[in-house]
Amino acid sequence: MLEAQSLSVAFGAQTILREVSFSVAEREFVCLVGPSGCGKTTLLRALAGLAPISSGRAVFKEQEVRGPQTELAVVFQDYGRALLPWRTVAGNVALALEARGIPRSEQSARIAPLLEKMHLTQHADKFPSQLSGGMQQRLQIARCLAQEPQVLLMDEPFGSLDAITRQELQDEVARLAKEERRTVVFVTHDLEEAIYLGDRVIALAANPGRIAEIVDIELARPRNQLATREDPRFLQYRHRLYKHLGH
Amino acid sequence: MGAVLPVVVLALWEMLSRAEVLSEDGFSRPSRFVVAGAKALADGTLLEQTAQTFAAATEALLIAAVAGIAIGAILGLFKPLERAAQLTIDALRPIPSVALIPLSLLLFGFSRNMSAAVAAFACFWPILLVTISAVRGVDGRLIEVGRLLGFSFARIIVKFALPAALPGILVGIRVSAGIAIVVTVTTEIVTNPRGLGFAMTMAAQSLQADLVWATLMWVGVIGWLVNWSLERLERRWLRYR
Repeated sequence: MLEAQSLSVAFGAQTILREVSFSVAEREFVCLVGPSGCGKTTLLRALAGLAPISSGRAVFKEQEVRGPQTELAVVFQDYGRALLPWRTVAGNVALALEARGIPRSEQSARIAPLLEKMHLTQHADKFPSQLSGGMQQRLQIARCLAQEPQVLLMDEPFGSLDAITRQELQDEVARLAKEERRTVVFVTHDLEEAIYLGDRVIALAANPGRIAEIVDIELARPRNQLATREDPRFLQYRHRLYKHLGH
Repeated sequence: MGAVLPVVVLALWEMLSRAEVLSEDGFSRPSRFVVAGAKALADGTLLEQTAQTFAAATEALLIAAVAGIAIGAILGLFKPLERAAQLTIDALRPIPSVALIPLSLLLFGFSRNMSAAVAAFACFWPILLVTISAVRGVDGRLIEVGRLLGFSFARIIVKFALPAALPGILVGIRVSAGIAIVVTVTTEIVTNPRGLGFAMTMAAQSLQADLVWATLMWVGVIGWLVNWSLERLERRWLRYR
């Protein structure tokens, strides 16, 4: 469904990504891990149509990705910069509906279930600055869902959250992906998060960014923060992938 | 708290005037110009003059805001255009607005528009410069979000760039509101036979020091009120912070 075909990105003389190729199947949850500076965020941005590709291409449903498109939603790590501070929680979700030309009269009926799903219902009239980090990130995800995309591209979405909130959101995103049948590409530098969430983990190596290894994760779903992480296979995957994180 | 200083100054002034240290010809005395002001207020002349000045200043501010925000947004978004406009801006901006009075008189005659045109010129620059830098300072991430959601370029400007730049733009408008009053009154003193500036000139010519002072204080009060209202408006619009 979504593919990188010998995709390279260079800024000036510096090669960020060299000939990266992989494909993501429909409804698949793929995690990209790698040491910092390996170009994983750039790769995600290239797939989203935000980063200039110097050679090769990103392909979505047989069409080359030439710029942002609503089928591909991006969840940024720094939720504070991605939300409109002058709009309320409901107003930020409405933004995606306005972009799709949905009449104002229909908007609230569509916003309510999304807020419900992301546990934001009682915060609908608050401004982002009045929410905790975890809630702001839920809001960004709610807005992306309002876009009704086929693919969620998530760039270290939980990187700046505390451990408890992070685990909570991991389970929610895993559940959402299955229930809503979305395809997810999830960038993280947290190996355990990648294994816990992914159907497949793609490990990247740095300088220049390239694929080091691709591992299928055969852990049963739904996964569980305790049982899954204690599963011997989970530990095997961790051992196998650990070396790619610059150790 | 802030009222203490003016009250002390006025009280001191009254005492010095009664002790005949200050000449009444030029300085009048607070008790007299309060009466003169009250009289002018009561017979409606002060209010009529205020309305004339206020209308011209408001017109100036509106013209400057619309032009300054529109042009500022365009120049802020497109760096090459700003570079192309830089020389023109730097050459026009130092022209003293009062130097435009003869030209404006030629164009508009003795009218509200004559004062408004001169004041609009003066108000335009702060709004323009503040808008350019505020729009330039908008986080690129917000623009990306707009593109990802599928908004057109024009709607990204209206829905993302301008609201994000609004806090800066409002400061420019508040600064320019003060300038609008100053320049409007100036044009009225220099040539235009209307408004508070002309009222002061006339009062001075008929040696009514109390009325000159009363009008002068009144201009100060109006300026303070305008600033206070705009500050409240700003706080309301930016309450999300």
